[in-house]
Amino acid sequence: MIPKKGMIKVSDGFERIIHWWLAITCLLLILTGLGMMFHSLNFLGIPVGGLKNLKLVHNFTGILFIPALFFAILTWWREAGVFEFPEDLEWIKCAGGYLWHVDNPPETGKYNPGQKAFFLAVAVFGVLMVISGLIMWFPLGMPRGLVAWMYPLHALGLLVIFPFFFIHLYLGTIGVPGSAPAIFTGYVTRSWCEKQCPKWLKEMEETGKLEVFGEEKDAAHH
Amino acid sequence: MSEKVKLYDATKCTACRGCQLACKQWNQLPAKQTINRGTYQNPPDLQPNTWLLMRFQEISDGNGGVKWIYRKQACMHCTDAACVKVCPSGALHYTKYGTVSMDPAKCIGCKECIYACPFDVPRYDPETDKIAKCDMCFSRIDNGLEPACVKACPTGALQFGDKEKMLKLAYARVKELNGNAYVYGDKFVGGTHMIYVLPEEASVYDALPEKPRVPISVIAWKDLLKPLSLLATGGVLLGAFLHYILHGPKDTSGDQAGQGGGE
Repeated sequence: MIPKKGMIKVSDGFERIIHWWLAITCLLLILTGLGMMFHSLNFLGIPVGGLKNLKLVHNFTGILFIPALFFAILTWWREAGVFEFPEDLEWIKCAGGYLWHVDNPPETGKYNPGQKAFFLAVAVFGVLMVISGLIMWFPLGMPRGLVAWMYPLHALGLLVIFPFFFIHLYLGTIGVPGSAPAIFTGYVTRSWCEKQCPKWLKEMEETGKLEVFGEEKDAAHH
Repeated sequence: MSEKVKLYDATKCTACRGCQLACKQWNQLPAKQTINRGTYQNPPDLQPNTWLLMRFQEISDGNGGVKWIYRKQACMHCTDAACVKVCPSGALHYTKYGTVSMDPAKCIGCKECIYACPFDVPRYDPETDKIAKCDMCFSRIDNGLEPACVKACPTGALQFGDKEKMLKLAYARVKELNGNAYVYGDKFVGGTHMIYVLPEEASVYDALPEKPRVPISVIAWKDLLKPLSLLATGGVLLGAFLHYILHGPKDTSGDQAGQGGGE
């Protein structure tokens, strides 16, 4: 997957590392967590030598999830954490053209409201997962009523995060072809940008910040 | 196999603690040194190595006097057991006798049962990183014997047998006592497999809930959020598939209409 001349840089190396760090820890947490949530999935513990080790893998992956979540929030909250009205509302009203035909869906910036909702869900429930998870790991000495409610809260976190996670996976691959290179090389086609983040593209071009593969960065004469 | 019940009649109990010792002997749970706290209740609470504890209390009799009351505390073996409901590994499980047994080999030390049990029975042992609790001497009852505590009881305060028979005995005893005594255990959490005949209100006793139930947090977790997460998973998998075959992927190629169609 080598970028071609004219492709546009949408993510830098740090963003790609954070994305993969978060993605891998998140997927591992979901799998190991499900192994403990359903008796029928207890077999997921076999590769690591049993359910007890699966618990350990889950808990320590949770520790690795914390810095990934921290840097993800720090990196993306400006672009993905703030809804902008009224344009985002217009986009939500027509579901961005993802569910039924819309002639001209409202133009979005770097991230559309669907992605913003995903970011916010991960940010808010990610923090809640960390807090509830740590209390579940070290409950002794904590108030009984508090600990008791951490388990349903943890389950709620999965209920919120998993559907977003899967839809993100679908739309980042076969649902919106051309998206995946953004997390591998960081470069996507110009036509992809025109469809997915037209406002951002214009902004970058106007300010001369757009990085195009095979072109000098400060070619602001475009 | 018929359900078995252990009946504890507090009005026949002399608090000799023979049952507590027998429990330790049969289950090989050597005592640890404790300190004299001015009570026979020793150790102060259930422990990983104390699955059965005689609890002692002095209460006012309402006429300026003192009443000395006691209760045999151990796992109640619920029919609708919150610990079994939350246990992720199946270590806590129902037996064919309706009792709740514990398989230490399966326990992963997650402590979830501690915060589910309405009777606060399971105890965590940091040395083994496992939970420990009374299993109503499964190794004995499965071989036609009565639990060690029942075997040791010298006054007949403890009896063991088929559920119907024990309940009949309990209600007959309450009738015989003809006072405040009542049966505790058959009316909640689906009916416990340890049944009490108590001479005092439940609220009088330490660490004994008046109306035990599977906690709402457990119901919200296991009966609501767990099935909902399955539904949501199915929903997004099916939804994504239908989206792909009906709506189709988004065209980000930038081709003009007709160009890619070969018209």
